[in-house]
Amino acid sequence: MSTTSRKATPTSRYGKVGHVLNELDDRLGVAKGGRTFLDKIFPDHWSFMLGEIALYSFMVLMLTGVFLTFYYVPSQTVVTYNGSYLPLFGQHMSEAYASTVNLSFAVRGGLLMRQMHHWAADIFAGAIVVHMARVFFTGAFRKPRELNWTIGTTLLVLAIANGFLGYSLPDDLVSGTGIRIMFSIILSVPLVGTYLAFFLFGGNFPGTDILARFFILHVLVIPLIILGLVGAHLFLLVRQKHTQFPGPGRTETNVVGSPMFPVFMAKTTGFLMFVTGVIALLGAFAQINPIWQFGPYVASRISYAVQPDWYMGFLDGALRIFPAWEFTGFGHTIPLEVTLPAVIFPGILFTAVYAWPAIERRYTGDNELHNLLDRPHNRPKRTAAGVAVTMLLTMLFIASSTDVIANYFKVSLNTVLWAMRILVIVVPLLSYPLAYRIAKEMQGVAGVGKRKVTNVVVRTDDGEYIATPAPVYADDAHHELDPVPVPTFIEGAVETSGDDEAEFETTPGVRRVER
Amino acid sequence: MKMSSRARLGLLVGILAAAPLLSFASVAGASSQTPYQTGAANSGTPKSSTVVKGPGGSIVSYGNSAITYTVPSPALATLGQSLYLENCASCHGVNANGVPADGTSGAYPNLVGLGSATIDFWIESGRMPAANPRSVQAERRTPRLTHDQAVAIAAWINSLDPSYPAIPTPHLSGANVADGAALFALNCAACHTIEGDGDALAQGTYAPSLRNIPAAQVVEAIRTGPGNMPRFTGNLSDYQVRDIVAYVTEYLQHPKNPGGLGLGGLGPVAEGFVGLLIGVGLLALIGYWVGERQ
Repeated sequence: MSTTSRKATPTSRYGKVGHVLNELDDRLGVAKGGRTFLDKIFPDHWSFMLGEIALYSFMVLMLTGVFLTFYYVPSQTVVTYNGSYLPLFGQHMSEAYASTVNLSFAVRGGLLMRQMHHWAADIFAGAIVVHMARVFFTGAFRKPRELNWTIGTTLLVLAIANGFLGYSLPDDLVSGTGIRIMFSIILSVPLVGTYLAFFLFGGNFPGTDILARFFILHVLVIPLIILGLVGAHLFLLVRQKHTQFPGPGRTETNVVGSPMFPVFMAKTTGFLMFVTGVIALLGAFAQINPIWQFGPYVASRISYAVQPDWYMGFLDGALRIFPAWEFTGFGHTIPLEVTLPAVIFPGILFTAVYAWPAIERRYTGDNELHNLLDRPHNRPKRTAAGVAVTMLLTMLFIASSTDVIANYFKVSLNTVLWAMRILVIVVPLLSYPLAYRIAKEMQGVAGVGKRKVTNVVVRTDDGEYIATPAPVYADDAHHELDPVPVPTFIEGAVETSGDDEAEFETTPGVRRVER
Repeated sequence: MKMSSRARLGLLVGILAAAPLLSFASVAGASSQTPYQTGAANSGTPKSSTVVKGPGGSIVSYGNSAITYTVPSPALATLGQSLYLENCASCHGVNANGVPADGTSGAYPNLVGLGSATIDFWIESGRMPAANPRSVQAERRTPRLTHDQAVAIAAWINSLDPSYPAIPTPHLSGANVADGAALFALNCAACHTIEGDGDALAQGTYAPSLRNIPAAQVVEAIRTGPGNMPRFTGNLSDYQVRDIVAYVTEYLQHPKNPGGLGLGGLGPVAEGFVGLLIGVGLLALIGYWVGERQ
């Protein structure tokens, strides 16, 4: 009797999986939400995948990071190393450094995990910056997406902060120097600097609490905030739907792209594999941060040619090239050579980044909702401003390796220092009008961004040459896409129209739905 | 902390002395030998117990089981003088005192009394004869003179005013590379970098890379302080110098790189380029391949 009733259910048509899903739907009502999710339309332009690099490298960071916490000891207790690396044998060092060397040399796969973690961190911050540049230059931050721009900027700040904290944890000679610099930067904050630094570091440098505090911030507090903000970032993205480039059949009120299932899911899963694969290959074949060569941090030791990881480079560069100015008066000393480049400058920079959508709205008076993206050349002022800031940061980034440049190209370090001081000011000032002019020129050029078509040249019997342009490529011609109803995966959940099924699938894999 | 009996005595004297004299007295008492002070054992000056003398009573070599210093044979002085006159005299003068011949201008270092290790280092590292005498810093290059010729020139200059240190030969077999690594980080890394690659210093000077320096020349540089480099005599014993040299030649010059490609030892500069160009760049290209392009 039970067998007959089971056969009567429609699940038989979809096999056992369909049956389980149906049972789930009967109890939890997952069909509607699941259907919406599986049918979500992704305009999968390649530049939209830059953010995914960040997302997936963050996954790698979490997985490898959990592995590292099994072996890392966040303690500044001094121990004697007696592991396998001879140049450290018998040296006194913090337990943090000893455990990092041990997890590199004595734990199976430990060095691979550490290197993957470090490469993933470099790629995480890099992907965020590149993704942010895409969002900025195409105007994707405009109303209604200002909140997501704010969240994204916060994610970048947190990525940089957590990268610095993680870089500091091994307590090697190079990272210890970095902590020393950070301590001094916080000290340089006028009036409250000393209190702030002593509060954050639990006393003067080099203290005994620093690494334990950095550790809990690095593995728990900041990742948790990042995780929450990534969730909010993605929730807003789903809620507000993607932006899209203007193109055939694309308007402010629709979304053209591939559905989550099966097209986008296949693409993005493949991309996840690529991201993890590239990070794993880098971790396996490219050595990063060989802390055993640096030795443990001891306050009396210092190495020349110490640079931070790349995402801190602009701060290091600003510190390096800033003139030695100092203010003394009213019973206080303010080291302007540290305060201005390392506190005030990044403060202004990130405030401007946060405020940019509001600034632009105020400036243009544009309060409309925007779902179609700008081509960068159509917004020459924004593009030029973005290029100028990018060039400023690039110059500061280059300035963080003045010594390497001087040594490699056999130029005097003083020459490089002064060259960078000038370039940091001149290059952004020159790049603004240059980028502006290029954008303006591109607006005026017919057919820019379209593929060139060939000219068919024919010689007549009289010797005359006639050039006729070949027809434009089919993809470049403007044509409207018809809205395509999404298919039903779960029977009975939604009534299908059924009328124009023959017109389905004009372009395989691409759908167009109303917002 | 261990203290010699003389240091203890000095401390006692210091405590008994009047308060203003306290610090002076304890320093005076401890001056016999601490690891960071100049003393006979550290300076490359021969100790009577380790000196080997030739038939004529002149010192042939001295040193200990860590480093042997060899005084070039005076018999080579005649050959050395002719080589000197051919290769060096145009700048340093015929008497090696830095005064060029009449009618030529310039001020060049006085070589008399520098010790044969100094002469040997500058010639054997290819810095002398100088490619460009007016450059800020003489560059290391292929030596123009052979080892024997360098020793001969050192023999002649040494004969003008015998002085120390003589030409060293390190014996690395018993070295402690861990002590060497720690001493390197303390004394050398501030200019040569912790990975030994060297780096630019102010006004066109630079700390040279240590990647290709023979062990004997590392000792000579530490003991004689060429160019801008400080002369490490008092604060490093021969045994400590030997440890540093062992670390430099065995580890810095041959890094094991268990993590894969060494990326030129340039640290975060190279790592940033690889992370951004190969990491993010390659992944962006893959995204370009996976995603839509219109």
